[in-house]
Amino acid sequence: AERSGGSGGAMQPPAASPGPAAPAGAELLRWQWREVQAPCLVAAWILVASLAKIVFHLSRKVTSVVPESCLLILLGLGLGGIVLAVAKKAEYQLEPNMFFLFLLPPIVLDSGYFMPSRLFFDNIGAILTYAVVGTLWNSFATGTALWGLHRAGLMDPGVEAGLMDFLLFGSLISAVDPVAVLAVFEEVHVNETLFIIVFGESLLNDAVTVVLYKVFNSFVELGPAHIHATDYVKGVASFFLVSLGGTAVGLLFAFLLALITRFTKRVRIIEPLFVFLLAYVAYLAAEMVSLSAILAVTFCGICCKKYVEANISQKSRTTVKYTMKTLASSSETIIFMFLGISAVDTSKWTWDTALVLGTLFFILLFRAVGVVLQTYVLNRFRLIPLDRIDQVVMSYGGLRGAVAFALVILLDREKVKAKDYFVATTIVVVFFTVIVQGLTIKPLVTWLKVKRSDHHKPTLNEELHEHAFDHILAAVEDIVGHHGYHYWRDKWEQFDKKYLSQLLMRKSAYRLRDEIWDVYYKLNIRDAISFVDQGGHVHSAAKLALPSMPSRTSMSESSVTNLLRESGSGACLDLQVIDTVRSRRDKEDAAMHHVLRGSLYKPRRRYKASYSRHFISPDKQERQDKEIFRQNMKRRLETFKSTKHNVCSSKSKARLKEKGRKKAIPLLSQKNISLTKETPNGKTHRNVPWQDAAPVLVMVSSEEEESDSSETEKEDDEGIVFVARATDEVLQGKTTPELCKLPLTVPPSASPGSLDVCPSPCIIPPSPTLAEKELPWKGDQADLAVYVSSETTKIVPVDMQKAWNQSISSLESIASPPGIESGPQHRRFACPVLEEQPQSACQAMPEQSSCFQFPSHISKSGRSQSDSSPEGPEQQELQPLMATEEQGRVPPSGEPRWLMFNRASHL
Amino acid sequence: MGNKQTIFTQEQLDAYQDCTFFTRKEILRLFHRYRDLAPQLVPLDYTDKPAVTLPYELIGSMPELKDNPFRQRIAEVFSEHGDGNMTLDDFLDMFSVLSEMAPRDLKAYYAFKIYDFNNDDYICKSDLEKTVNKLTRNELTPEEISLVCEKVIYEADVDNDGKLSLADFQHMIVRAPDFL
Repeated sequence: AERSGGSGGAMQPPAASPGPAAPAGAELLRWQWREVQAPCLVAAWILVASLAKIVFHLSRKVTSVVPESCLLILLGLGLGGIVLAVAKKAEYQLEPNMFFLFLLPPIVLDSGYFMPSRLFFDNIGAILTYAVVGTLWNSFATGTALWGLHRAGLMDPGVEAGLMDFLLFGSLISAVDPVAVLAVFEEVHVNETLFIIVFGESLLNDAVTVVLYKVFNSFVELGPAHIHATDYVKGVASFFLVSLGGTAVGLLFAFLLALITRFTKRVRIIEPLFVFLLAYVAYLAAEMVSLSAILAVTFCGICCKKYVEANISQKSRTTVKYTMKTLASSSETIIFMFLGISAVDTSKWTWDTALVLGTLFFILLFRAVGVVLQTYVLNRFRLIPLDRIDQVVMSYGGLRGAVAFALVILLDREKVKAKDYFVATTIVVVFFTVIVQGLTIKPLVTWLKVKRSDHHKPTLNEELHEHAFDHILAAVEDIVGHHGYHYWRDKWEQFDKKYLSQLLMRKSAYRLRDEIWDVYYKLNIRDAISFVDQGGHVHSAAKLALPSMPSRTSMSESSVTNLLRESGSGACLDLQVIDTVRSRRDKEDAAMHHVLRGSLYKPRRRYKASYSRHFISPDKQERQDKEIFRQNMKRRLETFKSTKHNVCSSKSKARLKEKGRKKAIPLLSQKNISLTKETPNGKTHRNVPWQDAAPVLVMVSSEEEESDSSETEKEDDEGIVFVARATDEVLQGKTTPELCKLPLTVPPSASPGSLDVCPSPCIIPPSPTLAEKELPWKGDQADLAVYVSSETTKIVPVDMQKAWNQSISSLESIASPPGIESGPQHRRFACPVLEEQPQSACQAMPEQSSCFQFPSHISKSGRSQSDSSPEGPEQQELQPLMATEEQGRVPPSGEPRWLMFNRASHL
Repeated sequence: MGNKQTIFTQEQLDAYQDCTFFTRKEILRLFHRYRDLAPQLVPLDYTDKPAVTLPYELIGSMPELKDNPFRQRIAEVFSEHGDGNMTLDDFLDMFSVLSEMAPRDLKAYYAFKIYDFNNDDYICKSDLEKTVNKLTRNELTPEEISLVCEKVIYEADVDNDGKLSLADFQHMIVRAPDFL
């Protein structure tokens, strides 16, 4: 690695000579080093740095102890030494221009774009305080203290500097550097709050640094004698102008960027380009009018992300992500390497021990003092105070970096006479903070037991109590009339939803922003990936029969299908749960979480701000309904999924046993069988190990299966349709109540015939539902045709919306007054259900979970409930939509019941 | 607010401000909310500290609290006699503790009291079951609930006595960053 860099420098002298020397005759080849020199050198340096990174990471031991930035600086020192030895003069310095125009923007953009915005804005107060007050304090204190040191005569008399010079130096040396902080803190993994505060500070203090630097620079150039009082005022004013202006530029470009990506549907391929270009233009624009460019890019990145991510395609998203990371990483690498190289150049700097040591001491001291003082004030307002250990880490994490170095190089030697001293000091400070502090911060963090960033899932307690307390606190704020921080966030979210998102997001993206949809979509993608991974064909029956294979212990990337198969098709909508299932205990926990998450109701949202005491906002009911729908849909999806797995298994199984009649295929693992034996009456065992709860029994009719297998192949590239039909016979006769005890996992003790699922794409159009017949405004007949369409992948959203609509219609029919009469037989069936609900609520409720409601069935249950609907509204909460108990009681109505599931499995 | 001065004396207001986390304005606002629950019972003049107690039925009928599953329990905890009937002081106290300005420790303490349905200074299984039931609106089977509660107790029970003491609870809450 080093040779290529060295040769880059060494090649230059010989390259220059042969060019003009041989003008005679046509040349076969010409040595054109001069033309390619500049880009070639750039490429060579990047290559060197990247190769060096590979080398560093060959040894895990080294990189786990020494931060990469240190290694790079050391490498730079080495390379610089070689260059110096070969070329006899120092070359390839870190040029301030290059640094500010090319190297810094990618890093800032990356950090802005991937900034956890929620966390950032949650801590914005602290961040701003540290960034503004802290930086001001640091610069003034450091500058003044150094000046005092100088006045005391402790420094070399060669340091010709007045108060202004020292303040200037203080301003550039005191700013915490985003590049250095990021490089070190990313490897330390402190907790998120701590990280965001230090990192946010380092980004936002740029405005202060820039202003201070410029103001003092101009003061120094003017000379102390010519400074008027107005200049100080101007300095203060320019601070606001620079910071707010920079932010405004960033916001403007973020808006533009979001708007542009809204219209890139036809030119997907250049989507990522817009992101980079506009961010860069934002940087340059801010730089052009001497506003804070870092602020501009940071805010551009933070603000555009949400909309851009929603607008651009999945592939563009990946591209943006990787390109951004690549650019930022290479910039960072080059910066640190060049820092090392630049330090070798002894001609630029003059050493003064007192200045160097004094600066080091003061920046450490004042940083600590500043942090403690500010934290003391801030903690009065913070819900979660920053404790002592946090403060230590914050003080110690104030790393200085390339920004300071570039600024000090930019100083004018004519005006700032002590520039050489300052350069030397800055280099030492940067090296000290990056190398010494960077090396020691990790042990320090370990030693102090700083709360690391732990991504543990909330414990049950936390989940439960947080939820409970949310409920307790619900509405308190309204009554008190005190609007806290959350109030403003709510306001912003409303505004965003109402206007910004509408304006900046594609219609499709906007519509798709439903949580369930999100999860559903992700699940589908994963599923599809796993499907392809496994060869794209249906799994063999043998595989399916082994629910928990030992090799699956580390299943961070195992597919949903696998997991679901293992956990007994316990359909979880919780991607987290799927992601990190490890031990048995974890799984149990996960399952319990799931139970909770599935059934915890959200606390009532706040009332509208314009609230009137005697008027309950009409929103209320709607929201309530929405939540019920949500739960319902969730359950349905769960059913879908369990059904889907049954479909998988049934396909393969049925192929093995080709018989033209219905057949029960028990897919029980050993354990479950034994469990079933223990509980012959079929009562669900509460202590069933969750991971072993095996899939349900499946009945297959194989004549339909045949058509299915052909269909599946045909549709492979456009999506897979699973249609499951529950025949009345099964529902009526054999549904065992214990089948559905658990909302999440279908228990193992289900007896044969519990669910009849047959994969079949042939679709019988459902007959109009009763609700549609009797509530004509609900009749959306045309939409039902959608179900029959074969282009399932394209109409998935429509399908789901239909399903929603249907549940809405049925709900409304529940809620509607009992005016609409229907046949007495409906009443006969409905009444026992309703009467029984209060006592058997606990038993009946979970049953809903795994029973899918079919259009006709929904409306029927809706109808029957509406017949006796005095309790309707109450029941509605307890019994959203699904009078599943009916399934066991209602005699066959003769209508087939339809369940349909679409998999958008296009990759 | 023209009659502001006649409701409370200056000393009363100062005392309320000392005892709660509220500003003067918020105290007055809360007073009006309180009074609006029963204008015929609550006098506009509070300078002579009338002993007015509003029954729980009125407190619980506040539209904002209507959907709060814990409203009765909260009222009980904060009321002087534990019956849910509240004086103005209780009322102010309740909102003060639950408001955003109250520190976590205080909230945790009262949260514990709220969860402790049977007032035995421990959160035992039956308390938890009530909580879970309220949170899930009776959607879970008794077995599920008891399983959840067992897990919860197992998770947070440091001293292994099968119930959660205040210390256990606080220990657990301290680690939960999102707990308000």
